Amino acid sequence: MPESDISIVIGGPQGGGIDTSATMIGRAFAYSGMNVISVREFHSNIKGRHSYVHLRARKDVPRSLKFPADLLVALDPDTIFEHFEDVGKGTKIIYDSSFENSDLNQARMIMRDTSKKIKNHLETGGYPLTVKGMLEAMKARGGIPIAVSFDGIISEVIKDGTNARYYNTLGAAITLSIVGIPEEFIIESIKYVFGSKEKVISPNIEVVKSAYRFSSSKSFASTPTEKVNRIPKLMLTGNDGAALGKLMGGLRFQTYYPITPASDESSAIEEHQAMEWIGGESSSLEKGGVTVVQTEDEISAITMACGAALTGSRSATATSGPGFSLMAEAISFAGMDEIPVVVTLYQRGGPSTGLPTRNSQSDLLFALNTGHGEFPRIVISSGDVEECIYDAMKALNYAQRYQLPVIHLIDKNLANTTQLVDSVDAKKVKVEGPAIAKSGPDFKRYDLNTKNGISKTGYFGRDIFWMTGDEHDELGHVTEDPDMRDSQMEKRFRKMETADREIPVEDKAEIIGDKKAETTLVTWGSQKGVAQDVAQMFAKKGVKIKILYLKMFEPFPSDFVLEVLSKSKTVIDLESNMLGQAAQVIRMKTGFKIENQIVKYNGRHITEDELYEGIEKIMSGKTKKVVLRNGA
Amino acid sequence: MAHNFRSDVAIDWCPGCGDFGIITGITQAITEMELKPEEVAVVSGIGCSGKTPHYLNIAGIHTLHGRSIPFAVGVKLSNPGLKVLVTSGDGDMLSIGAGHFVAEGRRNTGLTVILYDNEVYGLTKGQAAPTMGLGMQTKSLTKPNIFGKINPIALALASGYTFVARGFSFDTKQLKEIIKKALAHDGTALIDVLQPCPTYNNINTMEWYRKRVYKLEDDKGWNPTITKENEAEAIDKYQKAYVKSLEWEERIPTGIFYENKTIPSFTKRIAGFVPSYLSNPPAKQQVSDSNGFTIVDPVKTFKDKLVESA
Repeated sequence: MPESDISIVIGGPQGGGIDTSATMIGRAFAYSGMNVISVREFHSNIKGRHSYVHLRARKDVPRSLKFPADLLVALDPDTIFEHFEDVGKGTKIIYDSSFENSDLNQARMIMRDTSKKIKNHLETGGYPLTVKGMLEAMKARGGIPIAVSFDGIISEVIKDGTNARYYNTLGAAITLSIVGIPEEFIIESIKYVFGSKEKVISPNIEVVKSAYRFSSSKSFASTPTEKVNRIPKLMLTGNDGAALGKLMGGLRFQTYYPITPASDESSAIEEHQAMEWIGGESSSLEKGGVTVVQTEDEISAITMACGAALTGSRSATATSGPGFSLMAEAISFAGMDEIPVVVTLYQRGGPSTGLPTRNSQSDLLFALNTGHGEFPRIVISSGDVEECIYDAMKALNYAQRYQLPVIHLIDKNLANTTQLVDSVDAKKVKVEGPAIAKSGPDFKRYDLNTKNGISKTGYFGRDIFWMTGDEHDELGHVTEDPDMRDSQMEKRFRKMETADREIPVEDKAEIIGDKKAETTLVTWGSQKGVAQDVAQMFAKKGVKIKILYLKMFEPFPSDFVLEVLSKSKTVIDLESNMLGQAAQVIRMKTGFKIENQIVKYNGRHITEDELYEGIEKIMSGKTKKVVLRNGA
Repeated sequence: MAHNFRSDVAIDWCPGCGDFGIITGITQAITEMELKPEEVAVVSGIGCSGKTPHYLNIAGIHTLHGRSIPFAVGVKLSNPGLKVLVTSGDGDMLSIGAGHFVAEGRRNTGLTVILYDNEVYGLTKGQAAPTMGLGMQTKSLTKPNIFGKINPIALALASGYTFVARGFSFDTKQLKEIIKKALAHDGTALIDVLQPCPTYNNINTMEWYRKRVYKLEDDKGWNPTITKENEAEAIDKYQKAYVKSLEWEERIPTGIFYENKTIPSFTKRIAGFVPSYLSNPPAKQQVSDSNGFTIVDPVKTFKDKLVESA
């Protein structure tokens, strides 16, 4: 039986098949009936620099990752060097015996600053600057090095000298054999990963078998787990979840300019653009399809999506910080002209190009304030893969219902997190269309005769109406008349009051955990999972913590948040940014000042162990601010 | 009664402005083509040209400075049945929006781009626009123009536009005919319209142009059109168009420089990937059933992500 909670780090050079290894491992766990979560960490680089996948498998659903890892699988020497801090008591380190003499000074793909840090660590302990030296240092921390001859195992079955092609499969197979996942499940994974490529599948299967023979001969292998009944599940990243939600939510036009970590969403939409209808009454519908356009820049992406929206298509774009900066002027236009458009904003480390492949939540205040002038917008955020699906649907609905730009925030950590989604409920969120005006010569796109601020809309191709970025009259023609200006400004902002009234509070914020707990952890985005896991750890020790999880920042649930916070004894803000941006929003909207803060801005995901320690420090009264620093 | 393609909004261009001729050319072209008003949309940027949509009685967007092309592409791709006009100035198209102008050549979406070319930024009081020549000094410039000029015809050719033409706003008869051909063309058309600014450009006046313009079509041997049948002459026709684009100071050619019918429009290319695209484009697709629920099956659509049961 595998252990009930396994953490794995598998690392190697970018372009060396680490993603494939991780897919093999993740799927094999899932086939065996376990639940998995994993996150991808990588450099802004195509080939060579260190990339790794941090994965956790559990019987119940894991929501977070933790260090030290139970298993560190190194497909190259750099992985041993890079992860020296992620090894603890009992961590098994699997590596190729040929790595041992690799010299840190020759490891040119390790960033200079990182290399210096590693050197310092080794020198302080009196270890040589080699993998062998690092393994000694790891042993001192309680690690258990397991040397494997990659070429030896592969040469048993591969005779054409292409051994290096199979390192990733070997790494996955050794890992799975050690934790007791039966061979048949990784074979199933291999068939999935290589699809119809028969010629590739069979040698990979041979490598798996050779690896399992090796492990059992060395008695590394755990006893295989018994078979369980499996339920069909979708294995999705945050990017996939948003893509799926958009398709379900009626998206038919998506634009994008390539940028990490947003482009994967558009690729997923394009890959599935043909869509399959649900059956029943929709089975007789004509085949449809989503139009996906790669544009010349992000300005084009947002303006093209706006243009499409005017013809009645539900349209969206996806980008990250630098691209979102370029979209600012057009988002202001969409606010002024009441264009229903969704921008999925994948947050990565800024400012500027920042940490292009790393996690961040530093664009919240920017999303709330993007674009010149005052205009209504809705800003929402997702915290796990399942939420990405339904929130993407809701975002499209809000845009249509309230005729405005909607910004949907997803952080890089969530975008690159893989989770199993048990089932997708096609009836959980309705696809809500806009209020549509009667066609005819009297149509006024910006009709002031509306209590809720929502003027009934029309479409290019059906109606004649005008739009301008200038202030406009009811028909959409330019005006500078002071009274019309006031009326249109007030009409636009009435929509926000309507949205605030109509959208239920549970879609804006929720309490997770024991409502009576006196300690409240305030957070948003991908910390949702780790906060829950850590709260459970505290609960086991008799310490009650509830989570105030924020999902909507505009309109903001001020009354609800103020009530929860003012009744709490201890409040801790948890965010992946430096300034505590959500706490600033809370202060601005409610006047409540959160005294304690746990933040992380090194671009890496927050792990269970470091958050636990951070909360302990704050609750012990030693400090009011903790900066988390885990992660290679 | 025939639809009046002029709206009832009062035009506030200066008396004698070349823009009036463009409005006339557009309304005459769409009237003669018997297009239904809801079949045509017009998209503009910022500046005097940007006001055009308000003066036309068809769906219109007066967008951001430089962004008329991508807005228009969105309209066209979402509802490919629409005829989409772009009415933007030289600053809009060739300076702040130059990237979109070039990118549109690669797409060949099917827009009719009318470039209001008067060499100045009128609405901001006469600064040099990217079509003004090096060393020129119009009356509102304090010094001669320090920049060289962009040749819109040559840039359109280099960018891949499949219909490249020039009109003169004081010859609305020819302009109207060019607009009709451009609207009928399955691909993006550029019409560079010489459009004197009587307030800020005291050099390139109506009289200055009148003395120089001549019509390419007056040469009976001029055939700028590339079809499947004469594809062997494609390079020759492209070269001739380019050479003609260089004529300026003494004689200025108008008419159709280049037309290539062998390059598929963007809408046709999309239909290659999404077979139902032209009959059931994004703007016309149903997205929910009669109860308001999604019609997209999540598991069947994302079946490649399924972890199947044993």
